[in-house]
Amino acid sequence: MVAFILAISLMAADHYGQLTGSLRSTLLTIINPIEQIAALPKAIYIRATTDFTNINDLQLKNKQLKTELLLLRAKQLQLTNLKLEVKRLEALLGTTGKMTDQSIQIANITFYSNNPLSQFLSINKGSLKGVKSQHTVIDSKGIMGQIINTTPTMSRVLLITDPDHQIPVRVQRTAQRGILRGTGHNTTQLRFIPKSSAVKLGDILESSGLGGIFPAGYPVATITAIQNEGDSPYLDITAEPIAQLYQSHKVLILSESDPSSEMKSTKSDTTGDLDVH
Amino acid sequence: MSTKSFHIHLSQVRWTIITAYFIAFILDTMMLLGYSTPILPPLTLLVLLYWSANFIDRTHLFTALLLGVLADTLYQTTLGAHALIYIILTFLMIRHRLRFRTYPLWQQAFSISLYMLVYQSLNYLFFSPVLDNSDFVPYWSMPAIGLIAWPFLSYFLGKFSHTAAHS
Repeated sequence: MVAFILAISLMAADHYGQLTGSLRSTLLTIINPIEQIAALPKAIYIRATTDFTNINDLQLKNKQLKTELLLLRAKQLQLTNLKLEVKRLEALLGTTGKMTDQSIQIANITFYSNNPLSQFLSINKGSLKGVKSQHTVIDSKGIMGQIINTTPTMSRVLLITDPDHQIPVRVQRTAQRGILRGTGHNTTQLRFIPKSSAVKLGDILESSGLGGIFPAGYPVATITAIQNEGDSPYLDITAEPIAQLYQSHKVLILSESDPSSEMKSTKSDTTGDLDVH
Repeated sequence: MSTKSFHIHLSQVRWTIITAYFIAFILDTMMLLGYSTPILPPLTLLVLLYWSANFIDRTHLFTALLLGVLADTLYQTTLGAHALIYIILTFLMIRHRLRFRTYPLWQQAFSISLYMLVYQSLNYLFFSPVLDNSDFVPYWSMPAIGLIAWPFLSYFLGKFSHTAAHS
């Protein structure tokens, strides 16, 4: 009876408040080594297959990465100019500066799961590295999700496809706003788009920045199906995430940077993980 | 098979029990890695049902609470929800474990498949899992896999506890 009451109390505390946040973090800390043991066979397999990769393939990949790096550096220069231009224009228009610099940390994915109950990732950066709940996680293509729990050395990321996840977005082409909700199994649903809206298949959805949790302007999903059925005033829109939710090995954690911080980059550890502000 | 097992006292095989839970939890975690199919039964729950059926001097309800809370953390569900399901199933088992122990193995396996059906139904009620076309049949077929897994699990756990008790 006591165990029964404890279970019900835990459910109520977890559902209606954040009272159990530290308890969940403690439990995550306990199961973190178990997750690592469980992921070990796959890690060994990947390590073994990588070690036997043809040297020509590695050289080719190295060349491709160098070219990509060059292009990205050139784009970064353009971006710096554009940022200055925007600041000048904002000053002319008399608006306050809205471009916020993001602090970025690179993390490795240590565990991921796509099951009928939930879709999440575990990453190897935690509260000791300044990671907090609600920080945004992206890969090279778009937003993957947000941090929901942290332990000192790892964090758990709720993916945008999880049914409990919602993110405010806008259609990149028309700026029409809506809410993107996870529906499981690598799909999402765009809600609150009126039937009169001019959305098309292939339209890109980007984060709108409303709500203040996700930064604005990052690609989130591509519209793959539009249905106009029934009496509902809204379209039934399905979208697929742009980020490679289950193929990425490394992710970026975005957080608000300290306004006083200067542009800097520091090598944080021997694994090549990088913190950039 | 189970009737002969259990002249062993729980304190004689405490570490065997803890090790069995630990291994079962690791295997459950491995099954969750990547794109996991809902056809596989939770081994931690099967092991819990086995120990609660065979060691009748304890209720195992706090173990059920603890394992359920760990399962909630693992599956990223509301804390206490899996714990409640585990407690309900353990309670059902301790209510009829004296009869359960007298069943032949095949009949025990059928009982366990019913437990797994209750587990899946409660899961469905509590968490509304997303079951697309490829998941619907595996999800509701899980009790059948529990039925197949039980004789093997029963054999191995019985053997390990005997070895541990007599070593």
